[in-house]
Amino acid sequence: MTAEPLLEAQNLAVRYPNGEMALHDVSFKIKSPSFMAIIGPNGSGKSTLIKAFLGLIRPFRGTIKVNGFDSVKNSGKIRKMIRYVPQRDRIELTVPMKVKDIVLMGRLLKKLPPRFASSKDIKISRDALEQVDMVDLWNRPFPELSGGQRQRVLVARALASDGSILVLDEPLSGTDVESQDLIVEALDKYHKENDVSIIMVTHDLNPIHTLVEEVLLLKNTVIGIGEPCSVMDPELMKKVYGPTARIVEYAGHRYCMTRDSGIDRHD
Amino acid sequence: MIEIIQLIMDSPFLQRALLAAVLIAVVAAASGTFLVFRGLSFMAAGVAHAALGGTALGIFLQDSGLVPWFNPILGALLFSVLVAAFTGYAGESGLTQKMEVAVGVSFALSMSIAVFLMYYIPPYRVPQIWGYLIGDILLLNNIDIIMLASTAVLLGFITLMFNKEFVYVSVDMEGSIAHGMNARAYHYLMLIVSALAIALATKAVGAILVYAIMVAPAAASNELVKSVRGVIFSVFLIALVSELVGLTTSFVVFVSPSAIAGILAALAYLLALQIKRVRDRVHVEPKAEKTESDEMIDTFKASLVIDQENNHSHDH
Ligand SMILES: Nc1ncnc2c1ncn2[C@@H]1O[C@H](COP(=O)(O)OP(=O)(O)OP(=O)(O)O)[C@@H](O)[C@H]1O
Ligand SMILES: [Mg+2]
Repeated sequence: MTAEPLLEAQNLAVRYPNGEMALHDVSFKIKSPSFMAIIGPNGSGKSTLIKAFLGLIRPFRGTIKVNGFDSVKNSGKIRKMIRYVPQRDRIELTVPMKVKDIVLMGRLLKKLPPRFASSKDIKISRDALEQVDMVDLWNRPFPELSGGQRQRVLVARALASDGSILVLDEPLSGTDVESQDLIVEALDKYHKENDVSIIMVTHDLNPIHTLVEEVLLLKNTVIGIGEPCSVMDPELMKKVYGPTARIVEYAGHRYCMTRDSGIDRHD
Repeated sequence: MIEIIQLIMDSPFLQRALLAAVLIAVVAAASGTFLVFRGLSFMAAGVAHAALGGTALGIFLQDSGLVPWFNPILGALLFSVLVAAFTGYAGESGLTQKMEVAVGVSFALSMSIAVFLMYYIPPYRVPQIWGYLIGDILLLNNIDIIMLASTAVLLGFITLMFNKEFVYVSVDMEGSIAHGMNARAYHYLMLIVSALAIALATKAVGAILVYAIMVAPAAASNELVKSVRGVIFSVFLIALVSELVGLTTSFVVFVSPSAIAGILAALAYLLALQIKRVRDRVHVEPKAEKTESDEMIDTFKASLVIDQENNHSHDH
C-alpha cells in the first residue's frame, strides 16, 4: 500500500501518572502490511504499547508512528485506519447489549450520530459473526455468553468494522483450542484477502506461529524482533521468562517451553 | 372518574403536578438509565444534594445583598453542573470507582455548605432549603414547570441523538476512543445534561426521593429487560406509574405523593430481583449444568493435548 512502515518507534518511553515507567528505549520498525504479534510476560508493557500508538497515552519521550502518522499529532488519522479490540476485561457487562449490538458497534463507531445501522451494516456484521461461528447467537445478550464466546464476538466486531489495521489485545485469552484455531484462521484469511495489517497481543505463540510474519518480544523494552523463529532464541526466552524457559529442539523443530505459553513449536 | 377529571381541570396545581410527573419520568428514562448502565447511580443522589447546597448558597447571596439578583435555582443548577464536571473529570480514564468517590466527596461538600450557610440565612427562608430535601410536586409554579420541561426536552433530544454514544462510552470507553469517537465529549455531555435535569427534578420530588425515582426503575429494568431501548421504555413506564399512583393516593389519603412514588419505585426493584431469581431457577439451571460438563470435556481435551506435546518434547 505505502512505503511507510506499519509501526515505527523511536526511542519511545511511556510513563504512567503514578511514576511507573511501563516502556523505555523502545525503537523498532515493522513493514506494512503485516501480521504481527506482540508477546511478553504480564506487565511487560504490551497493552501500553498499543495504547501509545493509538494515541490513548502520550509518550513520555520519543515517538511512535503508524503508517507514518505520529501518534500524538495525527491521532485522528490513525484512528480512521484502526479497528481495536481491547483486552476482554475492559468491556463492561452492565449494559444490556446483544451480540449484534456489540458487532454493529464496530461499524457504527465509524459513522456519525445518530449512527443508524443500514442493511449493509447488518449483513457485514452477520458475515463477520459467521466467520467466528457465532451467528446463531445474533440475538443473545452479550453479558450472558461465556468468556471464550465473548472473545469471538469481539473478534467479529473487528472483522466487521472498516480500517486497514486490526489491533487486538489478547484475543485468544481464555479460549479453548478450537476457538483459538477458529479465531486465528479467520484473522489470517482476512489478512490475506483484504490486504489489512493485524497487530495482536498474545501470551501464546503456538496457535499463530506459522501465520505471523513478525514477532515483537517485549519486557518493558524491545528484547527481540523478527520472524517467529529468530525470536524463539533460548537466550532471549530466558531473559524474558526467566531461567525456567527452555527451547527444545526435536526432529528439526524448535519448541519453546515457558510456563506462560506451554510449548511452542517452531519449524 | 369524571369527578377526578373535573378536579384536574379546575386546579392548575394538579395539572402542573401531572405534567411534572411525566417530565420526571422522561428524565428518569433518559438519565437514570444511563447512570445505572455506567454504574454511577449514586450520582443522582450526589447531584440532588448538591442542588440543595447550591440553593442555600443562592438564598444566602440574594438575602445578604451580595448578589441581589441571584435566583436560588441558579445556585442549584450551578452546583449540580459542578458535581457532574468533577465526577466526569475523576472518571475520564473510565474507572467507575473513581467517579463514585468524587460523587461522595461532592455530596459531603454540598451538604456541609448547606448546613454552614443555614446559620447566616434568615430563619423564614430555611424551609426553602429543606424543600429541596423533601420536595413537593404539588407546589410547583409555572416557571418551575417551564424549566423542567425545557431541560427534559433537551435531555430527551440528546438521548435520542446520542444514546449509542452514551452506551459505547459505558461499554468500551477505550475502544470507542480508538475508533475515533470523541468519547470524552459524550462522557461530559451525558453527565452534565443529566445533572441539570436531576437538579430541576429535585425541586419537585426532593433530594432523597429523586434518587429513588432516578435509580430504582432503571435498576429494576436492567435486571429484567435485555435491550437498551427496552430498558429506557420500561424505566419511563415504572417511573410514570409510580408518580401517578403517588399523586392519586394523595387525593384520597393525606400523604406525600413523592413518598408513595419512591416507595413504589423501590418495590418495583425488589419485585424485579424476585422475578429474576424465579426466572433463573427455571431457565438457567439446566444450561449451567451443560456448560459445566462442556468445560470439563474441554479441560480433558486440553490436558490430552498437553500430554501429547509433553511426550514429544520428552522423547527428545
Ligand atoms: N493505568 C495504569 N496506571 C499505572 N500503571 C499502569 C497502568 N496500566 C498499566 N500500568 C503498569 O504498566 C506496566 C505495563 O502494563 P501493561 O498493561 O502494558 O502490561 P501487559 O504487557 O499488557 O500485561 P498483561 O499481559 O497482564 O496484559 C505494568 O507494570 C503496570 O503495572
Ligand atoms: Mg495487557
